[in-house]
Order: sequence, then C-alpha cells, then structure tokens
Amino acid sequence: MLATFYRFFIRPLRREPLRTALTAFAVALGVAVVLAIELAGTAAAGSFRASLESLTGKADFEVTAVGGLAPETLTALSTLPAPLTVRARIEDYASVQRTRETVPLIGLDMVAEALDFETGNASEQTWREDNIWVGPRLAKRAGETIRLIVNDRTHTFTVAGILKETPGSGEAGNVVVMDLATADRMLARNARLDRILIDAPDTHPVEHWEALLTTALPRDAALARFGARTEENRKMLAAFRWNLRVLSYIALVVGAFLIYNTISVSVVRRRAEIGIFRALGATRFGVLAAFLGEAALFGLIGAAAGLFLGRAMAEGAVHLIGATVESLYVSSTPGRIELGWEAALFALAIGLGISLASAFAPALEASRVTPIEAMARGRAEYDARVHRTRDLLFAALLGIAAALASRMPPVAGKPLFGYLAALLLIAAGALAVPALVSALSMAGSTALRRLLGVEALLASRSLVASLRRSSVLVAALATAIAMMASVGIMVGSFRETVLVWMDSQLRADLYIRPAGPAAADRHPTMSPAVPGAIEQLPAVEAVDRFRALRISYRGLPVTLGAGETRIVERYSRTRFLDGDRAEILRRLPTGDFVIVSEPFANKHRVHRGDRLTLNLAGAPRTFEVLGVYYDYASERGYIVMDRSTLLKYLPDPAPSNLAVYLKPAADLESARAAIERATAGSSLLIMSNRTIRTEAIKIFDRTFAITYALEAVAVVVAVMGIAGALLALVIDRRRELGLLRFLGASQPQVRRLILCEAGLIGILANIAGLALGVVLSLILIYVINKQSFGWTIQFHWPVGVLLGALTVIYAATILAGLYPARIATRLNPIEVVHEE
Amino acid sequence: MPLETARLLSDSTPSAVTVLRLENASKQYLTDGAPVPALENVDIDVNIGELVAIVGRSGCGKSTLLHLAGAMDLPTSGRVFIDGAETSRLSDAALTRLRRDKVGFIFQSFQLLPTLTVVENVELPLLLAGRPAPRKAALERLAWVELDGLQSRFPHQLSGGQQQRVAIARALVHGPKLLLADEPIGNLDTATGEVVLRLLRRIVDEQRVTVLMATHSTESTAIAGIIVRLRDGRIEEITRPSGR
Repeated sequence: MLATFYRFFIRPLRREPLRTALTAFAVALGVAVVLAIELAGTAAAGSFRASLESLTGKADFEVTAVGGLAPETLTALSTLPAPLTVRARIEDYASVQRTRETVPLIGLDMVAEALDFETGNASEQTWREDNIWVGPRLAKRAGETIRLIVNDRTHTFTVAGILKETPGSGEAGNVVVMDLATADRMLARNARLDRILIDAPDTHPVEHWEALLTTALPRDAALARFGARTEENRKMLAAFRWNLRVLSYIALVVGAFLIYNTISVSVVRRRAEIGIFRALGATRFGVLAAFLGEAALFGLIGAAAGLFLGRAMAEGAVHLIGATVESLYVSSTPGRIELGWEAALFALAIGLGISLASAFAPALEASRVTPIEAMARGRAEYDARVHRTRDLLFAALLGIAAALASRMPPVAGKPLFGYLAALLLIAAGALAVPALVSALSMAGSTALRRLLGVEALLASRSLVASLRRSSVLVAALATAIAMMASVGIMVGSFRETVLVWMDSQLRADLYIRPAGPAAADRHPTMSPAVPGAIEQLPAVEAVDRFRALRISYRGLPVTLGAGETRIVERYSRTRFLDGDRAEILRRLPTGDFVIVSEPFANKHRVHRGDRLTLNLAGAPRTFEVLGVYYDYASERGYIVMDRSTLLKYLPDPAPSNLAVYLKPAADLESARAAIERATAGSSLLIMSNRTIRTEAIKIFDRTFAITYALEAVAVVVAVMGIAGALLALVIDRRRELGLLRFLGASQPQVRRLILCEAGLIGILANIAGLALGVVLSLILIYVINKQSFGWTIQFHWPVGVLLGALTVIYAATILAGLYPARIATRLNPIEVVHEE
Repeated sequence: MPLETARLLSDSTPSAVTVLRLENASKQYLTDGAPVPALENVDIDVNIGELVAIVGRSGCGKSTLLHLAGAMDLPTSGRVFIDGAETSRLSDAALTRLRRDKVGFIFQSFQLLPTLTVVENVELPLLLAGRPAPRKAALERLAWVELDGLQSRFPHQLSGGQQQRVAIARALVHGPKLLLADEPIGNLDTATGEVVLRLLRRIVDEQRVTVLMATHSTESTAIAGIIVRLRDGRIEEITRPSGR
C-alpha cells in the first residue's frame, strides 16, 4: 500500500520539486503566521501579571480603591481576629533616565517581606532613604547608582541589592523595589496605599474570609481574589488579541485555496490512473484516502517548516504587539517566546487540518470517478463550466446570509457574527469567481487581442477552458487582496477619522506631562505648583489641568479623568454622539455629572442619561452621564468629570497632564522656553501641538504595522501559489504550447502567453479582490471594529495606498509568471506534440 | 520506378522550383547518452506542386524527416534547404519566420485548440505572424475546405473529418509553399479519409502547394506523385507511380 502511494503520489511530487516546495512553503507560511501571532500575543500579554506575583509569591485576596487606600485600612485588616498575613503595596512606574526604559516601581515593607536576592540582603543594609533593589535585567551591581524619573522629578538612587529572577517571572527582571516609606515620599502618596495583599489560611472557605475582610474595609474599597487585575487586563486585551488572531488566519485561508488547487490538479492529471486503479479493484475509500494522504503530506511538511518559521516571526511580532499593547492598553514588558509541545501540536493541527479540509472536496471527487468516466478528458473542466450559474446563485444566497449576520449583536463582547459575515462574503466571492472569470475573459478576449495581441486572446481562452483551476487561483489571490484592501480601507478610514478628531480635540498650543514614555495605564503626576507657575507667564492665556486615574469598572480597566470644563468649552471642539454640546459642557461642572468616551459607552452599554456608580471617598457615588463623546485616545475608555467634582472626592490637586493655550500673538518657541525656565527642577515633557499629533499618528501607524505585515504574508502566499499553479499549467498544457510553435509562434510569443495568463489572473483577482474588499471593509468598520473596540470610523477611501498596493500585487503576479514562462519557452515542441 | 539515385533533381544547389532539399541529412538522438540514428544520409529534392508520400514502418524516421523538412528540428549532419534557405544557418527567430511564411502542418490527431472557435483556429497562424486581415483570409480558407457556416463552432462540436478539414484550412491560411502532413487520415474512417485525401490532392493541383505526407495507408500513397520508402532511417526506394 505504502509502496503504491509512494509510486503514484510521492514520485510525481519529486518530479516537480519547485511546485511541490512552493505549495508546502505556502502552508508553512500560513502556519507560521498563525503560530507567530499566538506565541507573540501570549508573550506580550503574558507579562501583565503583577510583578510581585513572581517576586513574593501569590496572595489570596487584594484590596484596592480609587485614589488609594488610607493607612487605617491596613491597620484595620491587620488587627482582625484571624491569622491573616497582610502586606501593603505602593505600585507605580519609573523611567530610567539613561535608557528611557520604563520599569515597574514597587514600594513594600523591605524588612517584613522575604524577597529572594542574588546579591545584597535587605536586613543587612544600613537603612538609607535612597536605597533600592533592582531586577537583574537592569544590569546593575550592588553599590552602583541609578537615576530614575519618578513622576516629574529625577532622583539618584543607590542599588542596595539585586533581586533574583525566577523563570517566567514576567516583569520581575526589570523591576525596581524600594521601601514603602521611600515610595510614599517619592510618589507623593500621602501615606495612601495602592494595594493590600492578604493571605488567609485554608481553615475556612474563601467566602468566610471575604465576609470577614469586608467588615474591616471602607465602603469605597474593592476586595477581589488575587489576580483580578491581571484578569481585567486579559479581558481588556481579549478583543485586540482575538482580532489579531483572526487576521493571522487569512494567510492560512489563502493557503487552503492553494492546497485545494494542488489536489485538484493532481486529481485531473491522474484521472486515467484513478480509472485503472478502480478497474483493478481499488475502493472509493482507498482513492479518497490516497488523495487526502497527499494533502496530509503537504500539511505535515508545512507544519514542520511553519513551526520554525513561526518561532522566528514571533520574535519580530512580539515587539510590534508589545508596543501596541503599551500604547493603547496597559504597561507591559514582553515575556519570553516559548515554543513548547503545545505550540508544536497546535502547528501540526492547523497545518494538517487546513490541508485535509481543503483537499477533501477534490479527493471526494476523485473517489467518485468511475473507470469509464476516467477516459473522458476534460470532464472536470466541463463540470466547472456548467456549475457557474448554480455557484453564482449560492454566492448570492451567501451574500444575503452575510448581510443578515452583519446585523446581529456581539456574542459575549465578540463580534462572532461579524466574522461569520466576513467568512460568508469570502465564500460568496470565491463562488462568484468562476462566473466573473468566464464573463470577463470571454467578453474581453477580442479587446485583449486587439490590445495585446494573439497571446492575450489565447491566455483569456485558456483561463476559461481551465475554469476550475483558474478560478481557484483568482479566488485565492482575490481573497488576499480583499483582506488587504478591506484592512487598508479600514485603517485608512480610521487614520483619517483620527486626524479629523485630533483637529477638533487637540486645540492647545503645548501639552505637558511628566517625562518618560507614555502608556495607556500610567498616569504619573506633576507638582500642583507647575500649572500655577505656567499660568503666571505673560504668553499664556489658559492652562487646562487634567488628572487621570486607573480604575476598574465592572471588571474592566477604565481611565477616570478630570479636566477644567470651562477651558474645554472655550477652546476644544469635542464632539458628542448626540445631545447639545454647549448644554452638556455647561452642566458638567455643576454637580455629580460625567461624560464618557464612545469605547467606554459601547463596552459597558452606557447611554446618555444613564447613571454610573463609582467608589470614591469612602462610599459609592452616583454620576449621571450627560453625553457620550467621540474619542480615539484609548480603547479602555474614559469617564470624565469636571476637575472640581473630582477634587471634591479626591482632594489631590496634582495633575497628570496640562494643556497650555497661548495668547494669539505669543511666539511658540519663546513660550516653550519660558515654561522650561519656570518649571526648572521638574522632569517634564513639553510637546507642541504639531509634535503631539505627529507622535499620535506614529503610534497609530505602528499599531497597524503588524496588520499590514499579516496582509502582506497572505499576498505572498497567494503569489507563490500562482507561481506554482502556473508551473503546473505549463506542464499540463505543454502539447498546446508545442503546437503553437509548429504553427509559427516564436519563443517570446510563448513567454508572453504565459505572462498574459499571469497578468489576467492578476487583473481579475484585483477586480474581484477590490470589490470584495470594499464590502468587507464595511463589515470591518461598522460591525467588527464597532463591536470589538467601540469606535465610530468615518468611511474614507485611501486611494493612494490602495493603488500602490494593487500595483505592487499586480507586478508580483506577473513576476510569478516569469519562471513558468521560461519553462514554457524551453519545451521541445516535437517531444510534447508527439507524446500524445 | 526505382531510381539509381535518391536525388530527384541533380543540381547541387536548389533550383527555383525546388521547395525542399535534404542533402546527406542525418539525425541522431541521444538515448541514455548513446547516439541513436533516426535518419541517415538522406538526399531528397521536392519541387513545387509535388505530392510526396513517405512510407515505412513505425520508427523508420518518417516523423523525423517531416520535422527536418518543417524546420522544427535541425539535422545532426548534412543540410536541409526550405525554399532555398538552409535551416542550420538560421537563428531560432529566423526559423520561426520561415515556418510562418513557408510551412504548414497537419497532424494525425488534428491538434486544434479546443478553446478557440473554428475560425479562430484557422486564423491563428496569421495572428501569430502579425499578418493583416486574418479573419477574412480564415473565412476564405474555410470556404475553400467547404466548412463555411461552421466558423463559430468549437472543435468538439465537429466530426473528425470536419476537424481535419479545419486543420487543413489552418495549415493553408498563410499561403505556405510546403505542407507537411503526419498521418493525416490515421484517425479517420475510410470514407472521411478519402474526402481528406481528395482535399490534399486539390491543394497540390489547384494551389500548387507541395505536400509531404508521412503515411501508413495505401489510400494515401495512391494519390502521391512520388513515394519515398524509408527503412531504419535510410531511403530504401523512391518510386514515381505512373499517371502522376
């Protein structure tokens, strides 16, 4: 059996090594991309776990509160009549001045808690206020000094010891630890704690301890099982990772088309052999298994190669994903990429799975061949031709189903029906392709002949004659182009929307924040004296103090912000989904009112007029939502109140950001210099309006760089598939090509014929891909993006990007035809005509 | 009538009436690295308007001779002239031009392109050669082979005899001086074969086209003016049946 399989399946593959390699490599690339995104996503997302989780072991519970916990809470918990271990935490971030690297800063009781040290020991230290302990990745030695920017101040610390890094410890490698008292002073916490960790013995169930702990906590404190914050981060990131994962599967889908094509070609070529096998007693199942075996071989080779390729790709992807996560979601340091057995099995499963699934239809067709049928040449092509109308009808039905699916709501926060709509549309597109290829090729063949000569006529007729094969190629490339075009339109529209939004939102001349890299969940503050000093400058007209805090709302991280509404009202053009802007902004400072960003509203299903409850100043407080405003700054979402309202509950005047509005006649550079002089001693980052916009767009473009990379891989897979398929086409049509030489065709004419075929496939795929891409972009913009992230994107045509991409793809398709064309010109016409 | 010499014309250079000349032409193929002779020291001159039948067993070199005569292949030694041009001295592009202008091919299995209509098949050599008004010429040729009215059909919609007549129209459409036919009635029944043979005879008589036909059938040799019998790559005998 195996010997027969080798003779009839492996041996022919060895005779066409390039084509075999191209198909296997297409599968490998598809597998690699999926694996790379999975590995890189896990590495980037896996580092959220709190640094101390790995430094000091896990706890059972954690207590947090908006604006921090009063020290009395620690006392109350510690004095409970139970054998509990209670540990206090101050947690923030610092920037290493020399490298600009952001590192987690942890304040804890260095004497009470037993940390693992490589060198140095907390108990051995002579207590000094500037002592810190650092993770090994900071590459410091005990006794050395390090300059850190904490909030808006730069401090010099002495490294008292190096913490031990344990495998898989996430951020522990680059953490900075200091004593609680030092952290309190550096971060101006006024004795308030960020978290309290509690260990409880196993003597009672968890619920018992929860009930007991609640009695000791103030009403605004949140008690949660340990790891809740990590879980929140994971939940917040779910949509981002999910969408990235889905995008990574595109290359695999394109690869599936190519496996389908390869096995279809194999079936058509071996029809006579199948007939003989069947006549000699082979069962239908035997034939089915043999062709599936051939596909499995491609799957296995592809998966094995994809495993290593994916590991290498993950290295590049993890930086891009990590940067996006940091910019849009949460501070993170990518962990190590771990390629274990699970990943290997995953690669194997998707490689084999996609190969077998895509080969099933042609393999089944092969198993249904009767010995008599096998003698009838060209029947397979005839079948494809006569099914065109039926396929078109199916395509229409799938299109209707896609339209219906796109109207469905998200499932558990995921746009599952949106994905289904996209899949149905891709399937509909693939089914409509034979009719498109046939109609356009036939209708355009005369024009093509006039325009490009007889080679174009022959090429167009050849595409129609081998409709099944050419349709699959066009569908594969069209799918890749459609995804690229749709993502291109979506990203282009998003970019344009963000630009328009920035124009309305960013109206200040200068923006100021504490120095150090920014992240969506880091809100370092500056001294309250800073805005006061700036306001005194003659060039300055107004200063908007904005304070941001990371809070949790219904199990998801949110940013609570407070600004000066009267300044926003005067300068900004903030747009609301509905309601009167002037009225909303007039009412905002007058009581317990908030406005929320669109992503927040969508995520939590909050509307204008709803009421939100936030735990503030020792008790739950209720705020009325006056309006939902368009915002593209952060996916986690904002709840914004007036500064006076926040100060009423959290009397901490330190702002996180300042927006400085200059007088009309003021010179920007002079004003900046004056501000720098006035704030000397503070480590601040002062950015002009133009710089902050440039930075924002830079982050935007970096965010979508990986998306483009995924699309590019899908297109590469498709183009490789076309090269392989054209090679097969040349081999299968060698008699016809030889005949043309007999009839007076020159070698350049034969070459042009193959290039015309490649070009026609490219044009048809561009037409189909662009049309499908536009429809898919509507699904991406109005369904998938909206349900995943909650952003309203205005549709916009990124004409330049699309034209450029389509031209590059078209050129690549023609390049893919070069080698097959070379093979075609080298065929010996006498041999190929006479072997019939 | 057996000839003392294989040369039909005794001049050392092709005369104005000679369409095809093979001078001591030999062709060897390499099989597993060893040379295998397919044709050895063949001398033939064929004049305008002659119908020559090449006969012999399978593998005797008939097809090789046709390939050399059609500039599809070059002799290993010796010389081949087509309408005065020595094929071995021509570049690939010049050989292509020579075939486009001077040679037409007919095959046993018709070799029509299934993706093209009848008229498109016929005009193909003109299109490949970039000649003007190909459609008009193709329709005229179709009328000449009595297939006018079928121009829009595809090959699979025609009978075998009709397909071979389309192939003949295609072979003649560019006005070649030499028509090479490889077993032209090998795939046809007797009655249809006779129609095709009569057509070949008409080509010679009316169009003054020289026909070189490789064949097994006695019906085919019956219409030939000259019969060249090959054996193991060598000319065994050349006869000129009376009455032709």
